[in-house]
Amino acid sequence: MAVIGAFCVSVNKEVCLNARMPGKCATCAEVCPHGVYALDSHTGEVAVQNFNTCVGCRICAEFCPTNAIRINPAEPEYITRYPWTFSTIEEIHYKAQTGEYLLRGFGTHGQTPHFDMITVVPSQIASMAPLDKYREECDMEVVIGEDTCKKPVVLKVPFVWAAMSFGALSKEAKMALAIGAAEAGIATNTGEGGLVPEEAWLARGFIDKAQEHKKWQPGGYLIIQWSTGRWGVSVDYLNTGDAVEVKIGQGAKPGMGGHLLGAKVTQDVSRVRGVPVGSDALSPCRYYDVQTLDDMKHMVAFLRDVTDYKVPILFKLGPSRPYADVAACIEAGADAISIDGLVGGTGCSPDIVTQGVGIPTVACLPPAVQALKDYGVHRKVKLIALGGMRNGLDAFKAMAMGADAAGFGSAAEVAMGCRVCYACQKGNCPYGITSQKPEMRARLDPIETGHRLGNFIRACAEEVKILTMLSGHKSIQELSPEDLRAMDLNTAALTGLKLAGYERPLPIWDVPGGDGRGNGKNGKPHPEV
Amino acid sequence: MKTIDARNKDLKDVNSLLKEALNGMPVKVKNAAHLHGLAAGFKGGEIVIQGNAGDYIGVLNAGATVQVTRNAARYVADNMTSGTVIIAGDADYGAGQYCYGGTVIVRGNAGDFTATMNKGAIVIVCGNVGDEAGTYMLKGDLIVVGDAGENFANCLIRGNVYIGGNWKSLGSNTKVEPLSAEDKAKLKAYFETYQIDADPATFKKIVAASEKPFYH
Repeated sequence: MAVIGAFCVSVNKEVCLNARMPGKCATCAEVCPHGVYALDSHTGEVAVQNFNTCVGCRICAEFCPTNAIRINPAEPEYITRYPWTFSTIEEIHYKAQTGEYLLRGFGTHGQTPHFDMITVVPSQIASMAPLDKYREECDMEVVIGEDTCKKPVVLKVPFVWAAMSFGALSKEAKMALAIGAAEAGIATNTGEGGLVPEEAWLARGFIDKAQEHKKWQPGGYLIIQWSTGRWGVSVDYLNTGDAVEVKIGQGAKPGMGGHLLGAKVTQDVSRVRGVPVGSDALSPCRYYDVQTLDDMKHMVAFLRDVTDYKVPILFKLGPSRPYADVAACIEAGADAISIDGLVGGTGCSPDIVTQGVGIPTVACLPPAVQALKDYGVHRKVKLIALGGMRNGLDAFKAMAMGADAAGFGSAAEVAMGCRVCYACQKGNCPYGITSQKPEMRARLDPIETGHRLGNFIRACAEEVKILTMLSGHKSIQELSPEDLRAMDLNTAALTGLKLAGYERPLPIWDVPGGDGRGNGKNGKPHPEV
Repeated sequence: MKTIDARNKDLKDVNSLLKEALNGMPVKVKNAAHLHGLAAGFKGGEIVIQGNAGDYIGVLNAGATVQVTRNAARYVADNMTSGTVIIAGDADYGAGQYCYGGTVIVRGNAGDFTATMNKGAIVIVCGNVGDEAGTYMLKGDLIVVGDAGENFANCLIRGNVYIGGNWKSLGSNTKVEPLSAEDKAKLKAYFETYQIDADPATFKKIVAASEKPFYH
């Protein structure tokens, strides 16, 4: 095991007992299995004798009565100690001590296939000439439900806020998202925790319920989520918004329902959800009132009926079998489909589910787009890419792969001030974003934070515009996989994008008689999904 | 009484005819068993479905009285917030799910997962219920005059489950309690209002063992 010389050992002499009183303590020297420390029997002093033998077990640090020892890997621990990294060992200890598995908020961390190994192909002499971002127009609008609804949703720029519930988020954070949506002309989403009344008018840019004074131009939209827990749902709730989203799953924990721990179930949250104050609100993982795809079609039919055929019906999917799942949503009658990838966030989830379950966003998109194409509805039924979107670059890549828009959830929280501590579920968010405590919530000014969110979208929209125009397009609808190249074999294999240098998709995406983009004679992607 | 013949009509047509017809007078709908989501989200009025009804009858009901003269298929009165839905015959799987309020009466038997995630409605089944009735109930009353199947009242959080007959098995987080005088008076009033032949004194009551039974 190549751990020799891999760790730096430091002892804080300010607090070390032995440093102040030689002879009084030599615990580290006694417990270290590798002779890192040595006790001088004459002076009683302990010193780091040979840090090169340290294997990073940190037994000394654990036994040190004054917490004076720090062990830092000289090389990344992921290389030197993998798979027995410090965090793995600590996790096992935690389970052994408590009998509980780890829960956490936010999303997946660590290396997973993502957009970073994809590069954007700019225009030069042989292709369409680039357009001038500073002096020419670029069409960024996305219309949902154009042919199917009386009141389509017209996103000014190709973004939405991903669904995040009241309960998971504070009321102030929900209000800020609504204001940000209004400033940017995009849509916010109730999430599954019922309605914060203010969302309805703030999302449209109005300062109060009367909806007379439009403070935030151009005004946005409110998507009403319909989910498996059905918290706070009534016919009035459904008619408060501009679209209804049927939640099937989410990226952070596909196959599981929402988790809201008791610490965040306050009086207000309890009133909306109907669960006792302080008790866990755990949504069912599936619809008790849907057993077949036909049932789902009937559900869409009555949702359209009770909303008077005015508003679009959206579906939200977790990352499972994108081709078949998207096909099912199309069959069920979706006007738009959000597909959330592995890196998608959450207010609370079992750690292993967030880390280890689901398909990366980059690998969800090609089959999802193929399903839309096979049904002849690509760019009509809109595809919204979610799951670890961080900026206009990620969004552009998703759109060039065939999505119509991108959603920000985790990034929206960061735009509100979050620093990613992974503890949303505890309800102690010092920025008041995921806390229900009045003293924390008081720190979040919805108007100021809403403006930050609006700014974030404006900046990301400009990024998308830059990339669209430098690749020779005047509309985001013109984007295609030809605007992208994979920079490594893995990404080329996962996505079917052309490999940079090789300038064509990998042969595994070739099917005899296919179109060379991985699509077989039957129009379905290869390998079969 | 105005009658709408739903034969060969789709949901959109029949529900819009219903909207026009409901002017303080009861409306009858016949030949409607092929429609799923009939009488959805009405805030008042009285609708009589003559014969059998399809799935999701009275879904999202918000104040109307909906009667079915024979059997109803699955998901009766799904997600109702107020009003009354009365099924003269049997109801299939999942009657009275996700309801925040209102009353569901099934005069015959009801299927599996009846009153699942009830959040405040009164659900009365005069016959038997299938398995998993009352699963994850958060508020309201489930009253079964006959017998219940397996895993009755599973994961009960709050609300009351009353049963006149027997269950095959009880779900988790349940405990059996004697009926208080209040319970008996409440059941007696329900039985009188809806003309149900049953004696509250013979009923058993099931409540949640703990309000916080989950291990995350």
